[in-house]
Amino acid sequence: MNYRILAFRNVLSAAALALVAGAVSAQTVVVGGKGFTEQQLIAEITSQLLAANGFKPDKRVGMGTAVLRQALDSGQIDVCWEYTGTALSNVYKDTEKYTPEQGYEKIRSLDAAKGIVWLKPTRVNNSYGIGMLRAKSDKLGIKSISDLGNAYKSNKTMPIGVNAEFSQRPDGLPGVQKVYGFTVPLDSIIKMDFGLSFQALRDGQVESAMVTTTDGRIISFNLVVLTDDKNFFPFYVMTPVVRKEVLDKNPKLAPLLESLSSKLDSETMQKLNAAVDVDKKSMESVAAEFLKQQGLIKG
Amino acid sequence: MNPRFMRFCVVGAGIALLCAAAIASGGAAAILQYRKEMVHLSQQHIMLVLYSGGPAIVAGVLLGIALTRRSLRRFCEPVMQVLNIVTAIPTLAIIALAMMALGVGKPPALVALFLHALLPIVRNTVEGLRQLPPAELECARGMGMTPSQTLMLVELPEALPIIAQGVRVALVINVGVAPLAFLVGGGGLGDLIFSGIDLFEPAMMLAGAIPTAALAVTLDFLLSRLTRLLVSPGIRNDDATVAQL
Repeated sequence: MNYRILAFRNVLSAAALALVAGAVSAQTVVVGGKGFTEQQLIAEITSQLLAANGFKPDKRVGMGTAVLRQALDSGQIDVCWEYTGTALSNVYKDTEKYTPEQGYEKIRSLDAAKGIVWLKPTRVNNSYGIGMLRAKSDKLGIKSISDLGNAYKSNKTMPIGVNAEFSQRPDGLPGVQKVYGFTVPLDSIIKMDFGLSFQALRDGQVESAMVTTTDGRIISFNLVVLTDDKNFFPFYVMTPVVRKEVLDKNPKLAPLLESLSSKLDSETMQKLNAAVDVDKKSMESVAAEFLKQQGLIKG
Repeated sequence: MNPRFMRFCVVGAGIALLCAAAIASGGAAAILQYRKEMVHLSQQHIMLVLYSGGPAIVAGVLLGIALTRRSLRRFCEPVMQVLNIVTAIPTLAIIALAMMALGVGKPPALVALFLHALLPIVRNTVEGLRQLPPAELECARGMGMTPSQTLMLVELPEALPIIAQGVRVALVINVGVAPLAFLVGGGGLGDLIFSGIDLFEPAMMLAGAIPTAALAVTLDFLLSRLTRLLVSPGIRNDDATVAQL
């Protein structure tokens, strides 16, 4: 048999293999995420979990809340992890006071009408907050957001680090100022990429900054989250959110994602975030280690 | 086609495109609701461009002059290569690197913008000085001019149109790159652009993008006028580059 025939046979068998593979090809699931560590990490964990269970994940992270929601509504992404308070206040402009359970039920029924399913939630409450260095908070006697407001009312110059989203969201700085009745002067609002505000706090370039309460750097940078003494911030329960169409097509998907959400609480999430931001481990390795340790994928 | 007419067409088309986008995004009213921020941030934006561009002009022209002096000429190519490499690094990466050393805020943004502006200025200064006819230099020497007189009275005035081109390119690019400063807390019109993207508010995005574009066009126009004023009348019309001004 000469080489040409051999090569031809190889090509044929490869083509046949490809056909068979195509017939049982894995269903692609697009996993969306926002730009900050927790979101990127949970998207990575989800992708690895899906890949280990015969799906073909396609991870797209780095979006803002509104862009992510737009992508979900238009079917450009299939799965993401959203927070109950975020969706209520930003998508539905609902800033009522709810318990975590009420908030979850509310957003679940609102979104169900739109073909978007909120699966079983985690026990992660990743709230917005305003953080300060512990030493600075002790020195200035600023323990609560009211204390901070009083400082602004007495015309103290106190630069506050925020990101684009927080500076505009109804459950962000505009709402805080309205409820607590103070105004931060325009040139004291220092806007930057979200992750940087922690560095800026640590290095004293801002006096206070927005934080999210499950961030790993709160402990390692020795920060305090100012008490939200007027209960302004809602509960932000992290929940897997999927398009109904995708769930109907893939009956395995919901139990799989819920097996993951049941393993997550605030403390666990903060440790995972710290592994990335503080210990500088790669997202991939942190995700793989977590999934193995929880028995969600086989090591 | 007349280059000036062509530029006019390009600017016109750009403005028409922005207006179309403005109408699509809900009209001027939606954009104008950000006018307070637009003014405040435009000022910051201009400061970013001036504080990075000013030193870049001084440093770039001095470096360009130094590299064309007889004693330093052999360093010209290596230095230009280094500048080429620096410019090839994405500005965002330079900003990020500078942030490690300088913390957040304006300093890292200024450093990155400065480095970004340097190459076109140095390159044009070198090219402008290099392309002088040797006969003119000889002539100057023959008249008894000292090297510094030659530089100030012959070389620089002759090279000015080309140097000015470099400055214009550098500053106009800087206006367009400066929005990245927002990401490290440097302020500027990037604030509205990036917030607009994050919040999916086209009007907010345009409230940042339109002033940025307008700043670039205005700055380009002003610099071209300034160059025409500065260029010696004797050479104003004998050079293809000058004709474009």
